[in-house]
Amino acid sequence: MPARFSRKVILGLALVLFGTGVFLQIGPGGVTHALAQDSTVIRIAGSTTVLPIVSRAAEQFQTRNSSVRITVNAGGSGVGIHGTGTRRLDVGLASREITSKEKNRYASSRLNTTVIGRDAVACVVSSEIFDSGVRSLSRQQIGDIYLGKITNWKQVGGPDRKIIVIDKEAHRGTRHVFMKYLFGKSNARAPGARLVTGSNNEEQAKIAQSDSAIGMLSIAWINNDVVGIGIREGHQVIKPTLKNVRAGRFPIARNLNLVTAGQPRGVVKQFVNYLLSKEGQVFVEVSGYIPIRSPQLMSQVAGSHSK
Amino acid sequence: MNKHSLFPERGPAFWWTGFTALIAAGTIFILFVSLVIESVPVFKSQGLSFLWGADWFAGEAYGALPMIFGSLMVTGLAVVMVLPFALGSAILTSEFLNGRLRLVVKAAMELLAGVPGIIYGLMGIAVLTVWVRDVFGLIDGNTLFTAGLLLAVMILPTVMTLSEDALRSVPGEFRDTALSLGLTRMEMTLKVVVPQALPGLAGAVFLGLGRAMGETIAVMLVIGGIDRIPQPWFNLFAPGQSIPSKIGREAAEALGFDVQWSALIALGLVLFVMVMTLTSAGNLLLRRAR
Amino acid sequence: MNSRLFKERILLGSLYGFTACGCLVLAVILILVFTKGGLAISTAFLFEEARNFGLEGGILYQIAGTLILMTGAALVCLPVALGSVLFQTEFLHSPKLRKIFRLVIYALNAVPTIIFGLIGYLFFGVFLEAGVSWMTGVLVLAVMILPTLHVSIHEAVESIPKHYREAGLALGLSPGQQMRAVILPQSLHGIVTGTLLGLARAAGETAAIMFTATAFSGVRLPQSWTEPVTTLQTHILVLAQEAANPVALTHAWGAGLVLLTLVFVLIAATLWIRSGLEMEAQR
Repeated sequence: MPARFSRKVILGLALVLFGTGVFLQIGPGGVTHALAQDSTVIRIAGSTTVLPIVSRAAEQFQTRNSSVRITVNAGGSGVGIHGTGTRRLDVGLASREITSKEKNRYASSRLNTTVIGRDAVACVVSSEIFDSGVRSLSRQQIGDIYLGKITNWKQVGGPDRKIIVIDKEAHRGTRHVFMKYLFGKSNARAPGARLVTGSNNEEQAKIAQSDSAIGMLSIAWINNDVVGIGIREGHQVIKPTLKNVRAGRFPIARNLNLVTAGQPRGVVKQFVNYLLSKEGQVFVEVSGYIPIRSPQLMSQVAGSHSK
Repeated sequence: MNKHSLFPERGPAFWWTGFTALIAAGTIFILFVSLVIESVPVFKSQGLSFLWGADWFAGEAYGALPMIFGSLMVTGLAVVMVLPFALGSAILTSEFLNGRLRLVVKAAMELLAGVPGIIYGLMGIAVLTVWVRDVFGLIDGNTLFTAGLLLAVMILPTVMTLSEDALRSVPGEFRDTALSLGLTRMEMTLKVVVPQALPGLAGAVFLGLGRAMGETIAVMLVIGGIDRIPQPWFNLFAPGQSIPSKIGREAAEALGFDVQWSALIALGLVLFVMVMTLTSAGNLLLRRAR
Repeated sequence: MNSRLFKERILLGSLYGFTACGCLVLAVILILVFTKGGLAISTAFLFEEARNFGLEGGILYQIAGTLILMTGAALVCLPVALGSVLFQTEFLHSPKLRKIFRLVIYALNAVPTIIFGLIGYLFFGVFLEAGVSWMTGVLVLAVMILPTLHVSIHEAVESIPKHYREAGLALGLSPGQQMRAVILPQSLHGIVTGTLLGLARAAGETAAIMFTATAFSGVRLPQSWTEPVTTLQTHILVLAQEAANPVALTHAWGAGLVLLTLVFVLIAATLWIRSGLEMEAQR
């Protein structure tokens, strides 16, 4: 038994290891080459709202500075701020301001924010609801929906259908900004909520999959299935458009921040400056947000993506 | 030969294996000790109300009850749904199928037991939530029921193979005696084999339950993620939250610091105690069955 | 007698019914993964880098990351598992200590995987300062699969016939020689099947690595100990959350198919080895 059997076994194991090795070598350059290279890593994570900008910019930045490598991770604004505060990250992404609580908690890290763009949080609904006539809601109405006082779309002029209220995880930047607008408190509770989601992607998908959902979403994530409705103030309705945000009319606007421990230094500074440059600002616009300075014409930047 | 001449020297082999055993034991020790130590702060700040508080809001209140409830609920649902299918197919395979076919079924089940949780999660979010919503006429398909159903499918192969093993381990004399008394094959199976294998079957179910209760990803994507006990509590078609799903969603935010982290570890401790109870019951029953 | 036969038929029929339902559900799962995932699979998908948040390009580095984490975990775990089993069976004479050791391994097997992520991060990530990195992931997974390897190797060592050991002793072998000449070759199948099962378990694991070892974009192959990787599991996790986008779903199913194939190959290999063993034992 042993001789024949062990030959079979060794053959099998060798195949597995060999397969792994071959696969790893196929990648551009291969592992051995890659491990030999010398490079600096910038670790970035946080808000899924800011992530598309930074991820695209990082791709471009790395093709120019081959010695720098940038890893970008999702998680939410809370993750970005916490990670930077505890020095696990070089740059945190935040779609909200740092709370005073967080400032005290990470006092030793002297958190510093750099604004790279502007965005707005829209109240969004499933397209079926929009099509059936709910085009705008007042702050009071949205607030009552989140408090669970309004539970059916017919109470706000829609079809006779229960409202699926979608909340976000408590540390998310979008939620802070939205709750601050609705209730004046960024950590207000939402007893009317039915689902809690995390990233923008997840919330967008849940609203699109449903035909009677309401949620909060950065305007860059609005599409045909997930429609941003207007905010009614008195007699006037303010639609969530880039134009209204740019003009300062839309009430739920916010800064998109990079968080660093102290002033950015070294390669991190280079990268932050790149994002603030005319060329870097293109990625803010391409991702659907408002640049803080006029970007270079898109045609002049090679390899920029369209969304 | 006395003991001393059996192992005359403590040579390099002794030290080498001893060293690795120490690493293994040390790691496990650290794991369990940190699980306890790290959960102390939240019990200090909240007292035992951590266990029956119904409100969880990071930075303000940490009450684990909705998560404990959700975990028990989805696990309970999973077992109710998996039982007839797992036991039915185990009985059929062990008592009525011929040897070759039986081997094929067993091999297939062992393969299926290895399907990663993330695959079930993907299926849950892309197919099952929509399906549950439409079939049951709900406004939304992210519910405790969906999570339970997904878990039932997930543990079916595990429970089935373990149950089948338990049935096979009933000695042949029992069957022979039963058949010679004029019982039919089915009567023999239900009146003799199954009762004999009962501890083993229970053990199989408990082990499956342990796996279901600890599953993170598949549940996280379909349960709805809301830290609330449904109204009324037996409303299966309401969203909820399980312990692993809660940890999975909040861990990245709290990594390593503050009461929130401690609260998550304490949740982990509660989960561990619950899963441990289930699996040690299962192991005990299985061992007694052999 | 007739009603007895009738009852028998009904019961047997319901058994077949339940079995068929169970098999049907599981078959549907496999068909779903293979048909939906099949649409995404192409050489480009397998050997290109992911672009535009996984909506374009392929899953090259995701495959690489999964392979790195799983082989790394097995390589770290194997010597520890093997050594501790040998220590337990060869040197640990007290039955009480042996029992405790076994119970502890069983307890470790019961730990939900997300807890390995939590404590593993605390210990490897924070205390050993590896941070969110592939090294942390490898170590976390290594601890996670320890019981799988341990139990499998232990069973193999225990099942070595007594007279093999006695023959070794009669030749005057030292414990070290005894291990090399008798125990290791005789328990090789346990070592290999255990390792393969451990690899399969590590490859399928998401919860333990999603906040300890992986990053979302900008990741290729790690160039130092403390860099994150990207894996098939976490890639599917991210894409699955974009369930309303058909492109994202197709890519998720494609990655799922690759992952499932990997896991199935590993498990099938263990089944193959075990069946070969049974056949030879019957001779």
